[in-house]
Amino acid sequence: MAESGTLLAFKAGRAFRREGTNFVDPSPTKGAILLRKEDDLLHLIWKNRVTDEVEEDLILFPSDATFSKVSQASGRVYVLKFSSSDQRHFFWMQDASSARDEEFVNNVNGFLMDPDHEASWGPSSQPEASTSTAGASSSSAPSGFQASPEQMAQLQQLLSSAVGGGASAPSELSLNDILTPANMTALFTSHPDLIPTLFPHLPPDLPMPPSSEVLQRIISSPQLHSAVSNFDQALRTGLLGGLVRQLGLPEEAGTGIEPFLRAVQRQADQERGEDGMDTD
Amino acid sequence: MSGEDDTNGWQLTESDPGVFSELLKTLGVPLIVDDLYSLDSESLASLQPLHALIFLFKWVSTSSDSMSGNYDPEFPGFFAHQVVNNACATIAVINALGNIPALKSGPQLAQLMEFTNNMDPQTRGLVVTSSDWLREAHNSLSPPSAISLDGLELPRQTEDAYHFVVYLPSMGFVYELDGLKPHAVRHGSYNESGEGWLSRAREVIENRIATYPPGALDFSLLALRDDPLPLLQAELAKLQTAGKQAEAAELVVKLESETSKRNRWNFENSIRRHNHVGLVHALLVALAKAGRLEPAKENAKSLMKERIARAKSKGGAMDES
Repeated sequence: MAESGTLLAFKAGRAFRREGTNFVDPSPTKGAILLRKEDDLLHLIWKNRVTDEVEEDLILFPSDATFSKVSQASGRVYVLKFSSSDQRHFFWMQDASSARDEEFVNNVNGFLMDPDHEASWGPSSQPEASTSTAGASSSSAPSGFQASPEQMAQLQQLLSSAVGGGASAPSELSLNDILTPANMTALFTSHPDLIPTLFPHLPPDLPMPPSSEVLQRIISSPQLHSAVSNFDQALRTGLLGGLVRQLGLPEEAGTGIEPFLRAVQRQADQERGEDGMDTD
Repeated sequence: MSGEDDTNGWQLTESDPGVFSELLKTLGVPLIVDDLYSLDSESLASLQPLHALIFLFKWVSTSSDSMSGNYDPEFPGFFAHQVVNNACATIAVINALGNIPALKSGPQLAQLMEFTNNMDPQTRGLVVTSSDWLREAHNSLSPPSAISLDGLELPRQTEDAYHFVVYLPSMGFVYELDGLKPHAVRHGSYNESGEGWLSRAREVIENRIATYPPGALDFSLLALRDDPLPLLQAELAKLQTAGKQAEAAELVVKLESETSKRNRWNFENSIRRHNHVGLVHALLVALAKAGRLEPAKENAKSLMKERIARAKSKGGAMDES
């Protein structure tokens, strides 16, 4: 086994946490994760496949880090986390096929535990340029995988729904501009019968009984404003499919703000029909 | 304790008097924390009995913070190191509480104080930080991590963390307890008469603030004091039975002011701890049922367009709300 060399490599993009939040925005830049051993130290490198430059080079001590799937994301998102620090690095698989995800991840974790790990590769149906085994050290970025037009379209869609709201494309609207105190006042005035439908969602330990005044107070509070911003940003990652199902919405509603609002309208129309309320 | 990540399960809290006071209630301590807007003698006098001052500031990690006072490695009082960043507010509170003589508290806190007696600051810090019950009390004050992309309990990090330093009297000296410093810092003695330790503390704090360039430091001051509510209520009852209406009326005003502040704290803590996703969804559904969602959407879109246009004309980056 070589003292230094590339242990494995696979296509992966990075995702970055939005400052001050728990949300992570995928970056569309084509890249690759490489695990290299240099002078007996294990390096996890992220290389930009377009510029061919190494943009991240992390040294990993045995058992210090793990590479785990982000279970609440519907995409193929993984996080590298350390027991020795707060650092988190997010990645997403860029190989159009997920068939080998598990294989790569298992081997990554194998090396993270023990740099002397022996990579084990399952039988692969096609020889892919994106893998390398010990001994075939290659520092150049994997290339040569051609995505079919359908696969490209799928990736494109995943990207456009996931990246909306990033620095390049500001979102069309902010939920805080919908849930304004003014809009709420108007709503409570025109449809007082809807007010009680909100009471079950108020904090159970409120020091006063539920009322429209309390609702107004909450809607004007910085705490709610912040919660709405968080939800807004979460929706923009396109990865809330799981969460919105708990609200009785289809998974598609978790892919962005527009889909969410459309689904809410459909849900409201349905409920209204069931309640036998007048439509306007 | 899961110890999976090195926040050791401590969530970041807001440094709001209501949050601190709620923690004190949970600890069974009859004290509250109030905002201190000024160090002048009148303001301080109105908050008596006052046990400690907490100075909190955005951490400016510059070594130009020339230290006044002297390290006291022999400090006989309670001093614990801050070993987990997110626990900083609670560590500051515990450091203050540990030096208040004859403090009434719940059994768990009393046991913690007894158990850590005679320990060195580092060990104390580790023991305090590994108290499951204390960590739970601390975490119960912050919003639930309702929406996190991973089940890994990513702590909500603010860009700038606040740092907390406690100033209090002990054994005739004013001490500074900073969980990130190796020892308690002794700043001069004081006269029991007049303002007592507060005049020395004021001097030290004002000098400290003066060492930073104007506007460079984002700070606030908190006061750890006896809970005035029970005293006010008892006093009012006495005056009313004695038929002293005028004085009773004055006291009623004070009491009302204090009570409304506490109601506000309770309300804020309640909405702070709550997961609002259900409410957000329900509000949008209500708007939709009323046929008001579409117009609100269109309006929101134009607002966003205006914002973008304004930002572009200013040439700066847009601050999304």
